[in-house]
Amino acid sequence: MAEIELAATPKTERAKPAELVQLIVFRLGDEDYGIRIEQVKEVTVTPEVARMPKTPPFIKGIANLRGDIIAILDLEERFRLRPAGRPIPERSYTVAVEAADYTLGLMVREVPRPFTLPLSQIEPAPEFVQDAGTRDKYLEGIAKLPEGGIIIVLDMRKLLTPSEVLRLPGKGASS
Amino acid sequence: MKTRDQEYRELFMAEALEYYDSMSRHLSELERNPDAVPALNELFRLMHNLKANARAMGFNDLGEVAHHLETLFGLIRDQQRTFSGPLTKVVFAGVDALGNMIRAVGAGQPLPDATALLDNLDRLVRGEEPVLEAEEAPESEEEANKKMELSDLVYIQVKKLDNLLNLVGELVIDRDRIMTLAQELDNPALLATAQHLFRISDDLQYSVMDARLVGVGVLLNKFPRVVRDVASAEHKEVELTLSGQDVQIDRNILQIITDALLHLVRNAVSHGLETTEQRLKAGKPAVGQLTLSALTERDDVLIQVRDDGRGIDTEAVRRKAIDRGLVSASTAATLNEKAVWAFLFEPGFSMAQQVTDISGRGVGLDVVKLALDSLGGQLRVESELGVGTTFTLVLPTSIAVKGALLVEVEERPYAVPLLHTDTVLSLHPGQISVVGGVLVTYFQEQTVPLVPLRLLLYDEGDGPLPLATRDDISGPQQVLVVNYNNRRLGLVVDRFIRQQNIVIKPLSKPLDTIDLFGGVTLLGSGQVCLVLDVPALTRLFLNKRP
Repeated sequence: MAEIELAATPKTERAKPAELVQLIVFRLGDEDYGIRIEQVKEVTVTPEVARMPKTPPFIKGIANLRGDIIAILDLEERFRLRPAGRPIPERSYTVAVEAADYTLGLMVREVPRPFTLPLSQIEPAPEFVQDAGTRDKYLEGIAKLPEGGIIIVLDMRKLLTPSEVLRLPGKGASS
Repeated sequence: MKTRDQEYRELFMAEALEYYDSMSRHLSELERNPDAVPALNELFRLMHNLKANARAMGFNDLGEVAHHLETLFGLIRDQQRTFSGPLTKVVFAGVDALGNMIRAVGAGQPLPDATALLDNLDRLVRGEEPVLEAEEAPESEEEANKKMELSDLVYIQVKKLDNLLNLVGELVIDRDRIMTLAQELDNPALLATAQHLFRISDDLQYSVMDARLVGVGVLLNKFPRVVRDVASAEHKEVELTLSGQDVQIDRNILQIITDALLHLVRNAVSHGLETTEQRLKAGKPAVGQLTLSALTERDDVLIQVRDDGRGIDTEAVRRKAIDRGLVSASTAATLNEKAVWAFLFEPGFSMAQQVTDISGRGVGLDVVKLALDSLGGQLRVESELGVGTTFTLVLPTSIAVKGALLVEVEERPYAVPLLHTDTVLSLHPGQISVVGGVLVTYFQEQTVPLVPLRLLLYDEGDGPLPLATRDDISGPQQVLVVNYNNRRLGLVVDRFIRQQNIVIKPLSKPLDTIDLFGGVTLLGSGQVCLVLDVPALTRLFLNKRP
């Protein structure tokens, strides 16, 4: 009896209004990327960044965010998405995202915007993408928008492990 | 301000009252269930601790009662007595008596007489019947009222104090910033308020730091047992002398150096001091002397481990360093003894001929160095062959605030803790030579290598630094001479900014793995400033020197 009931529950729930997901969406290169809003601590104009020697180039440095000293990352550089001849503008924005026990800032070129969509619209990333490059592991999935276009949804918890953050793209684990 | 004595007495009282409460609790449990082993063990431990504390404070009668009860609980634990009959009554009376005595200590009154109780406890220990008097009832009424007192002391988790200290650190940073703004705006009212804020936050900072201070004694007092154990394992006779237990230091600093001190003490007994036979042969007294002392020197706390043993055999260390490939034979010959001793603190460097349980596994002294580096402390070594060795740990009193020199490289400020700085020099090119691709200067009759800080920080890759040439130098050079492990290194910087007290925040993950930086600090301007780690910079230079 109990087993039958358990099996039945998800079906009835699926018929209910779809579960919604809120994303913070920003542009990297020519694509839209999103992070679940619960992983985002705040969005702010990028504060003064102090360059940090002995770090990979995609770590822009450290900045003072309300008394917290956080590392600022440039994902365009990390994923090699920087379009030629379009450097990060003078005034950029920082999305502060929370990992398990620390905060990191992601530097983005345009004002990030919130976006709500049903969970069912996020499809797991297809296998060929998963195998393609370094990006794949942090993909939660790809959201297809009704009006066309896609949002690539990143899973911050996987992106922000210290070993991932400090890994140099295209360079062996030299130390 | 309270005197040390008062402070100790209060601490003793707080602990004793807590022990007393637990004792009463465990006794009640034991009464319900006479076979409750955990309660019995706990009672035994509480008695033991109370005895030790009371004796240390000179409350010998109190110590005596606790001692007798401890013995009795030992017997019950070993099942030679059972917790029943008249024994129960005497034990309850005993714990009540302890309570009265503790309260008498707190009130500064003479301790009540406990002769009758002690006699009864003695009788029980000997296996005789105690002599019971029927006069407890009215007293226990009074007891019940007195039990409801709260201690004047609050126990607090160190974590909470850490948090408080961090907050104060941030307050100080903002205060400096407001001060700077007030001066820029030149508004008298704002300036006066800022100055007031300055004083208050200063007081607050010192109060928080003061709350974190503990006597070095809490650590030193653990050593008599350690020394006894190591000495007996090594078949040596050692007399340990402690001094300066009253010297105050931040609790976390004490925690960090615990292992380091343990290593130094074990090392002193195991390697430093000779066996009785060897000592007599050398014409020394049979019993080796080991002194652990704490003292203050300016703002620092020094903890010394001194033995009158065989001393460091400099030549043996020199040979060993060459064997291990740490230094070439030709370079080794030129090193003075202090530079040679520095090898003792290299990872895996052990002078033990024989691997023992206690020391000589090739680990140890480098732990001391690491602990000190993490605190921004220093290690001094003095030794004379055949006479003895003294290791001195130079520690900051508090972790929070450090004096630092701010320097500028490529328009960014960096802070260098003053503990590691020797001097600043302004050198014109004529005072700089190039030796084997390295810039050097002569300072206090010593050759000091120079390296542009910019090069150390920004040179990519693992290869050696580019060879320096005369062309690299033009105009006067600003040099900050740093000192680590008796090695001097001159860092060429763009300019000196100023000296100031800084509050160091640790780097958060994931950047905390980069050891070149001991942390960050925020300047009055709100600017983020990296704090350089001189030990790591020195190591980097040694690894990369061309």
